[in-house]
Amino acid sequence: MSEERRIRILYTVGAAAMTAFCLLPVAYMVLVAASRRPDIFSAGAEVRLTAGHFLDVLGTGSLHFPEYVVNGIAISGLSAILAVVLAAPAAYAVTRLDLPGRMSFLFLVLAVSMFPPVSLVSYLFRMMSALGWINTYAALVLPYTAWVLPLSLWILASHFSRIPRDLDRAALLDGCGRLAALRKVMVPVAAPGILSTAILAFIFAFNEFLFALLLTTGRNARTIPVGIALFEGLHGEIPWGMIMAAATLAVVPVVLLVLVFQRGIVAGLTRGAVRE
Amino acid sequence: MRKDHDLRELLKGYAFLAPVCALLLAFVFVPVAGTLLDSVHRDVTFLPRRFIGLGNYRSMGSDPGFWQSLRFTGLFTLVSVPLELALGLAFALFLEHPSSARGFLRAGVLLPWAIPAAVSGRIFELIYNVQYGLANALVTGIGLSEGPVHWLGTSAGAFLALVAADAWKTTPFVAILLLAGLSAIPEDLYRQAEVDRAGPLQRFFRVTLPLLRPVFVVALLFRTIDSLRVFDLVFVLTGGGPGGSTTSLSMYGYRFFVGGDFGYGSAVSVVLFVLAFLFSLLYLRASRFGREIA
Repeated sequence: MSEERRIRILYTVGAAAMTAFCLLPVAYMVLVAASRRPDIFSAGAEVRLTAGHFLDVLGTGSLHFPEYVVNGIAISGLSAILAVVLAAPAAYAVTRLDLPGRMSFLFLVLAVSMFPPVSLVSYLFRMMSALGWINTYAALVLPYTAWVLPLSLWILASHFSRIPRDLDRAALLDGCGRLAALRKVMVPVAAPGILSTAILAFIFAFNEFLFALLLTTGRNARTIPVGIALFEGLHGEIPWGMIMAAATLAVVPVVLLVLVFQRGIVAGLTRGAVRE
Repeated sequence: MRKDHDLRELLKGYAFLAPVCALLLAFVFVPVAGTLLDSVHRDVTFLPRRFIGLGNYRSMGSDPGFWQSLRFTGLFTLVSVPLELALGLAFALFLEHPSSARGFLRAGVLLPWAIPAAVSGRIFELIYNVQYGLANALVTGIGLSEGPVHWLGTSAGAFLALVAADAWKTTPFVAILLLAGLSAIPEDLYRQAEVDRAGPLQRFFRVTLPLLRPVFVVALLFRTIDSLRVFDLVFVLTGGGPGGSTTSLSMYGYRFFVGGDFGYGSAVSVVLFVLAFLFSLLYLRASRFGREIA
C-alpha cells in the first residue's frame, strides 16, 4: 500500500513539474509584457506593473501590429475553411467509394506532409512574383490550404470511417446523390470532428513562418509570427516589453482555441498521426 | 449499358478527389519539381540560367558551410528527439494518471505546442538574455555559475539553448501521441499483471513499454522528420550563429534563396528533401498506413 502511496506522490510532483515547465515561459512572457522593465528577476529589481507596452503595441501605427493580427486570423481562417471543404468530399470518397488507386492517393497525400517547406518556397516565391500576388492574402491562403490538406483529409477520413455505413446507405436508397449523402448525413454526424479538424488547420496556418517570411513584404498580408520575429527596436536596445506584449496578444487566439477545444485538438492530433 | 454506368460512377468518385489533387499538384508537387529542376541549373539572379547537371551537388561536397549545416541538423536531431521522447513519455504518464486536474493539465501542456515557434523563439531569446534573462537568474541564483552565461554567444551554448527551446515547444506533441497509445492499452492487462503480483515498475516495463512500442516508433519518426527541417526556431533564436554553427539545412538553403542563388539553394533543399523522404518511408511502414481506413 505504501508503494501505491509513493507512486501517487511521484505522479503529483511530476505533474506539477510538468506544468511548471510548460507554463513558466508563457508566464514569463506575460510578466515582462506587463512590467515596466524587463529585468524582473535580477537581484534587487522591483517589479512595477504597467499596461503601457500593450497600449504601445496596439497604438503605434507604424508597427502595424493590429494589421498583422487581422491578416493572420483572416488568412488562417480562409485556409482552414477551404481545406475542410475540399477535404470532406475526398475523405468521403476514400472511406465510402470503392475507388481503384485510393490507397496510392492516400500515400501521395501523406507524403506531402513530410516535405520540408524550404523545398517548395523558392518556386512559390517565383510563382507568386510572376502572378503579382506577393504580399496578398492569396499568396498565403493557397499554399496554406494545400499544406494543411493532408492533415485535414486524414482526420476527416478517420471520423467518417467510424460512422456506420448504414446511415449514408439509407440516404442513398432514399434517392440522395453522393454529394447529398455527404452533406446531409456525414457532415452533420461528424460535425464535432469537422470543427476540430478546422481548428487544427487554423492553428497550423496561424503559426506558419517560412512561407509568410518570403511571400509577404509588409502590412497588407504579413502575419503575426513574421511580425514578431522581425520586431526590432528603433533605438538600439531591444524593446523586450513591447515584444513580449505583442507576443502575448499574438497568442491570444490560439490560447483561446486550446482552452475551449482541448479535447478535440488532442483527438485530432492523434488521429492525424497515429490512426489508432 | 451496365459498364457505362460503372464508369460514370467511377468518374464521379474521382471527381470527389479532384480538388485536393489539383491544389496539391499546383502548390506542392509542381514547386517540388521546380526545385529539383532548379537544382541542376546555375540559376543566379542577373546571370543567364544554364544547365549544369550535378554541378551544384558537386560544389556542395567541398562547401564547408554545407557540411557544417548538415552536421548541425544531424546533431540537433540526434540530441533533441530522444530528449523529447523521454520527456514526452513522462508527460504522457502524468497526463494519463487519473486526477481532478486532468483537463487543466492537458490544456497547460498543449500551450507550448500551440504557440508559434517564432514567438517561442522570441520568448527564449529573452530567457537567454545575458543581462537580465530568466536562465541566468536561475543559474546564478542556484550558484551553478558565478557570473552571467553568454548562452547564445558560444556554439555549445547556442546549441543547448536551441535543444531546450525545441524540447519545450515539441515535447507536448510527443506526449499527446504517447497518451493516445497509453489509453489504448487494455485495462485487463494491468489487472492480469497485478494478479501476477507484478509491482508498478514491473507493470511499466512488462506491459506499458512493450505495448507502447508502435506509437513510440511513430512519434520517433514524426519528430525526426520535423527536426530535420527545423527553421523557425533557429531563425529567430540564434539566426544560425554564432559563426554559422547552428545553421540548419533549411536555413542554409534559405540563405541562398535570399541571396539570389536559386540553383545552389535548391540543391541544398533537395538534399534535405531526400533525407526527410527516407524517414517518411519508414514512418509509412511503421504507422501501418491506411489500415483503419481500408
